[in-house]
Amino acid sequence: MIIDVLIALGKIAVVLLVGLGLGAYLTWVERKVAGHIQARMGPSVVGPFGLFQPIADGVKLVTKESIIPRGADVPVYYLALILALVPSFLIFSVVPFGPSFTVFGREIKPIISDVNIGLLIVFAMGSIAVYGTIFAGWASNSKYAFIGSLRKAAVIVSYEVVLGFAVLGVILIAGSLSTVEIVNSQIEKGIWYIVYQPVAFILYLFCMLAESGRVPFDIQEAEAELVTGYNVEYGGMRFGLFPLAEWYLNVVGLSAIAVVLFFGGWSGPHIFGPLSPYIWFLVKTFALVFFTLWLHWTLPRFQAKDITDIAWKILLPIALLNVVVTAFVVYLFS
Amino acid sequence: MEGYGAFLIFFLIALALASVMTILNDILGAKKKDPMEDYPYECGVPLYDKEARGNFKQGYYMFGLLLILFDIEVAFLFPWAVVFKEIGLYGLIEAVLFILILFLGFIYALRKRALKWQT
Repeated sequence: MIIDVLIALGKIAVVLLVGLGLGAYLTWVERKVAGHIQARMGPSVVGPFGLFQPIADGVKLVTKESIIPRGADVPVYYLALILALVPSFLIFSVVPFGPSFTVFGREIKPIISDVNIGLLIVFAMGSIAVYGTIFAGWASNSKYAFIGSLRKAAVIVSYEVVLGFAVLGVILIAGSLSTVEIVNSQIEKGIWYIVYQPVAFILYLFCMLAESGRVPFDIQEAEAELVTGYNVEYGGMRFGLFPLAEWYLNVVGLSAIAVVLFFGGWSGPHIFGPLSPYIWFLVKTFALVFFTLWLHWTLPRFQAKDITDIAWKILLPIALLNVVVTAFVVYLFS
Repeated sequence: MEGYGAFLIFFLIALALASVMTILNDILGAKKKDPMEDYPYECGVPLYDKEARGNFKQGYYMFGLLLILFDIEVAFLFPWAVVFKEIGLYGLIEAVLFILILFLGFIYALRKRALKWQT
């Protein structure tokens, strides 16, 4: 019993350290990528290749004065941050990083909570995360923040539905909601589900960008009109936490889930020795994260009403059709 | 401990971590108050309204209503997708009928222009 708790704590510690470390360093990666896309250098002063820039930024943000705007709803102002951060951590609880292995006769699965409703937890966390944005806009007592959070609500209201229908195809083929079993069924069949479900993958990609507020769906921040939208009244570390949760943890978490659903999770040739499943998983995840960054610094953004139009009028019928066709094909071939 | 227990522990740890990160500025930051520093951002002009949270036009309340409809549809279809291979033809016909009925509802909403922003 005690050992079980200790193992769980160990896994949580590893996931949090890796997640937060990567989250901090993704700021550096993003600024480097953005710099080179726009023919600039990106951070290059602090340390070699600017590698210590995230640490310098962190120290600076932490030592800033705490400023809460007058007329703000203070409990909700704090609650918004917690509601944005906690779900983006919890997405990682159902991400399987590799196959189970045995240490001293005890089987260890490299996943924090191996439950048979793994995907449902991901969707639940995605739905809760939007409250962070909406509360932030409401509590700040600023019109820019308020407008930004209302736009985010419109986007989430539209893409939640498409996201649910998009993954139904994969669930139909795999016959399970558990992330571990979905990966195992792909390894058994020896094929990645993107081959069977290319349409679902593209729909998922759209929803991933919308849920994590990335370009071309980042109207909740829209620097040009809303300054930074919903988090304009947050300062210091609190200002840093919203992008950490939305732009980095959410993108990495949803990319990891995309790898689980469509790219065979940790499967891959054993060319890195015993660590190869983990390395393959991280390589696939960060290939998707890099793709997201690439889009972010290349595309312009849509208007709010165009974004909801795309979701309801184009993506939703395609997703419904995809589910029906997949169901027929699975029935015929099983 | 592999399942929901670990999830609960992770939730508590994430909650504690998020709370600490949130109040970090209150502990470590400077304490000197400035008279205008808590002024809400409005491009430097005096505040037009003291309270930003008044009546507002939000334009997409129909999506909110439709979200409930379609999200519940997805919620119904998740268990169906999991046991699909066991229930066979019966499950297939039932689910296709179900989706078809809701698709008619979708077309109705489309023709009634409920999927446009209400301006």
